[in-house]
Amino acid sequence: MNAIRWKKFFASPKWVTVVWVLGLILVWEIGATVVAGVKRTPENVLPHLYQIIGSVFSSQKANSTQTAIQIVLSNAWITLMRAGIGFALGAMAGFMLALLMSLFSAVEKMIFPYLMMIQMIPILGMAPIVLAITRDIDKSRIVIAAILTFYPVATNTLSGFKAVEREKRELMFSLAASRYDVYRKLLIPSSLPYLFTGLKIAAPMAITASILVDTLQGGGGLGCMMSQSLKHAMTIYVFWQIVFLSAIIGILSYQLMAWLEKLVSPYRRSGGDFPATDAKEPTP
Amino acid sequence: MNKQSNAWDQISTFLYPVAFGALFVVLWQTGLLHRLLGADTFTLPLPGRIFTIIEENTPAIMGNVRATLTVALGGLALGSLIGYLLGVLAALFSKWGKGGLTLASAFNAIPIIAIAPILNNLTKDFSTDANIRSMFAKILVVTVTSMVAMSVNAYRGLTELKPFSLDLMRSCAASGRQIFFKLRVPNSVPFIFTALRVSVPGCIISALVSEYFAEYIVGVGRQIRENIVLAQYATAWAYIVVACAMGIALYAALLISERILLKGRG
Amino acid sequence: MRNGNVNWNGNRNRLMAVVALVLSLMVALAAVPAMAAGYAPDATAETIVKDAASQGKVGNWGLGNEYEVQALLSKYGQPATYLSQAFDMDGFDDDSILLASAMTYNELGLVKNSYQGGYGYGDAVKYIDMNDEGVAMLEDNIFTTAAFAAANPNTVKAFVAASVKGWAYACQNPAEAAEIVYQYGSSVSSEHQAYMAEEVKKLVETDTQGNPVTAYGKIDDAAMQQTLDLAKTYIKLTDSVAAEKLASLTLDDIRDSSYFDAATAEGAVPGAPEKTDVTIQLKWLPQAQFMGYYVALSKGYYSDAGLNVTIVPGGGDISETTAVYTGQVDFGVTWVSNLIAANAGGMGLTEVAQIFQRSGLVLVYKVSE
Repeated sequence: MNAIRWKKFFASPKWVTVVWVLGLILVWEIGATVVAGVKRTPENVLPHLYQIIGSVFSSQKANSTQTAIQIVLSNAWITLMRAGIGFALGAMAGFMLALLMSLFSAVEKMIFPYLMMIQMIPILGMAPIVLAITRDIDKSRIVIAAILTFYPVATNTLSGFKAVEREKRELMFSLAASRYDVYRKLLIPSSLPYLFTGLKIAAPMAITASILVDTLQGGGGLGCMMSQSLKHAMTIYVFWQIVFLSAIIGILSYQLMAWLEKLVSPYRRSGGDFPATDAKEPTP
Repeated sequence: MNKQSNAWDQISTFLYPVAFGALFVVLWQTGLLHRLLGADTFTLPLPGRIFTIIEENTPAIMGNVRATLTVALGGLALGSLIGYLLGVLAALFSKWGKGGLTLASAFNAIPIIAIAPILNNLTKDFSTDANIRSMFAKILVVTVTSMVAMSVNAYRGLTELKPFSLDLMRSCAASGRQIFFKLRVPNSVPFIFTALRVSVPGCIISALVSEYFAEYIVGVGRQIRENIVLAQYATAWAYIVVACAMGIALYAALLISERILLKGRG
Repeated sequence: MRNGNVNWNGNRNRLMAVVALVLSLMVALAAVPAMAAGYAPDATAETIVKDAASQGKVGNWGLGNEYEVQALLSKYGQPATYLSQAFDMDGFDDDSILLASAMTYNELGLVKNSYQGGYGYGDAVKYIDMNDEGVAMLEDNIFTTAAFAAANPNTVKAFVAASVKGWAYACQNPAEAAEIVYQYGSSVSSEHQAYMAEEVKKLVETDTQGNPVTAYGKIDDAAMQQTLDLAKTYIKLTDSVAAEKLASLTLDDIRDSSYFDAATAEGAVPGAPEKTDVTIQLKWLPQAQFMGYYVALSKGYYSDAGLNVTIVPGGGDISETTAVYTGQVDFGVTWVSNLIAANAGGMGLTEVAQIFQRSGLVLVYKVSE
């Protein structure tokens, strides 16, 4: 009885993941042991995992009021809020633009080549202009997160609109459906999987972007704390905790979009096992 | 669709973006764009001034471009190679491989600004020459960021075969090795390009960011940061324009090679 | 099939290369240089600078903090290049940097002391002081835009007066000031904060020549002129328009003493501030380097002056000059050299008070036994 249960466990993908995680831990620990042997301040280079975990549960205050994990969690909340608002705005704008590009091919031709260029402008270059326009660092942070979300959503949604087979479209037109009806009943529902592909790519991106723009100035946020920690103005374990937390949040944000997708759409799609990498680019 | 409208379609594909770009530059140069955005010519300098700076400092800029391209392309090549190998390993040992890839893709969720300082510290003893060890650290950052996309896509390319093709090969008594090289590897080529479409723009961005933290002061990204912090926006913008141009040139090169290599494929 | 074979071997070779790379990395990590570095206790600044520069092991953080180091290198005939130093002293500790930049109130304390984050070198390190070498440039000041100052003169005067009062109190009670900064959320350990307060006090109360300062925050034109002259030599701007502007800058383009003089004059009657809600962005993270502002806030000096002040921490890539220029904040604390560079770019900033009267930058080195 028990043996069968074990056999089942060993055959399941869960067991594979467990082994991989154990393997990674082993590699990390070997590295940490080497580093601990040769460096004077190994915690700056590669601390042992138990030290990081220990720092999470440590009750030692990292500033006058908070412990390391309290600092990390309270700032994570700030970053998440900004990322969330930026993501919502960017996704909306991306969807609208995709709709516009699909309605008017002239708009698509004009704008599409430049979409990628926006993506190529380093955030650091964008920040001062956005700041000069908004005159508020938190608004700037949200706007930048939105700009980075916008591109994957717009391109993927557009390719969704394009992927709906021409016949289906023509059929609708031949049934004398209005353009509005074609979009409402056919195009938008069938482009949903693509929209979600875009959202799944964009969600972790909005979070990394949000962390990156945190570092631009003080005033709270994960990136802010990360840079303070790297500058040794607070314990370095804040940095290590943020490294792990940011990875976890990124994966969760992807999972959240996947869950939303299941909730919203009756269809089933294969693939999408790999967070943030299944980019689908339209062929213009 | 008749011939005439087809020709117009082709012309407009080219004409519209050029016209749009020209209009944009004109708006920018005449300051109308600034009025529209509420920006000023200091944080968003006029194109004329930006291009003057590029023109006057071409040798210095080219030196930085070379450094950044070395990092971006070196990291892209190394990352794509390792990524493809990981994809092959994952395809050969599918049960273990897929789990490993899922885990590896979790790396994508770690921001580059966290990875760069870690790798910087880890490679401190690589060479006594700060230029070399710092270059190595930067290349590793780009390697890590371009590896994941390639491994996941390579795995897909090697495993997501056309229906019945595997059965067909087996019925011809093809060996495992034959199936691998005649079926799986060719099947993965378009997927390689899918990965590159993500990682080519990505490698430039990660190269720029890795330079922010590097020990040795060189590169387009580093120049952007130094000049922004020193409030030299016109110069920073000159380097931003250069960074965009690099990204676009690499992406165009990729699209062209894709068109040539994938010619005649479905 | 043949092709396939080649391909496989290629893959195998690549795999070998990767394995070799990883192995060599581990070997490199394990083989740590065990040689003892250091300079004789009586070595002159010249011999030390020359030796460290010839090995390419002079460090600085860059990003506008490097000009004094470059001036010193040039003084001793060395090329003005330096290594980009991280914000810890690990590079100094492991000898990849022999002559490392340090602020007297921050990194120097970490190198010498053995509290949390410290390296505990004690007297086994010595340093070269920029003030002694005649290459000192003025650092932490208070500045705003010329336009803001012209439109809100009473606000500027009130802010300067209250800030200077805060600094005076902080310098008389550094331990209490350090505690106040810590309570305001600084994450720097309280021991290091206390050390920092003592060192900052010295910078506020002594000028570049080593003479005691009588008026806190007064703009010392001689030291300003030296800063401007060094800045013109060592700030290298790519943009020719900005470079020309830099060469033409005079003291009047970078500082305006009238607000300080009016605010601190005997029997000055303060006018009502035109703008009462004001913000100040610091040059760096919250720490005792900025204790005067935290003290003024905590002791109510700002509210007594009719101001509601918010302190914005710095340390990010949106520099204090940009934040002030864009109008996101009203005042900033920056180094004079950064203000000069920003004005060369066209920002139109003006200094209204000079808090640190001497350079806090030193180059630290190890002493051999």
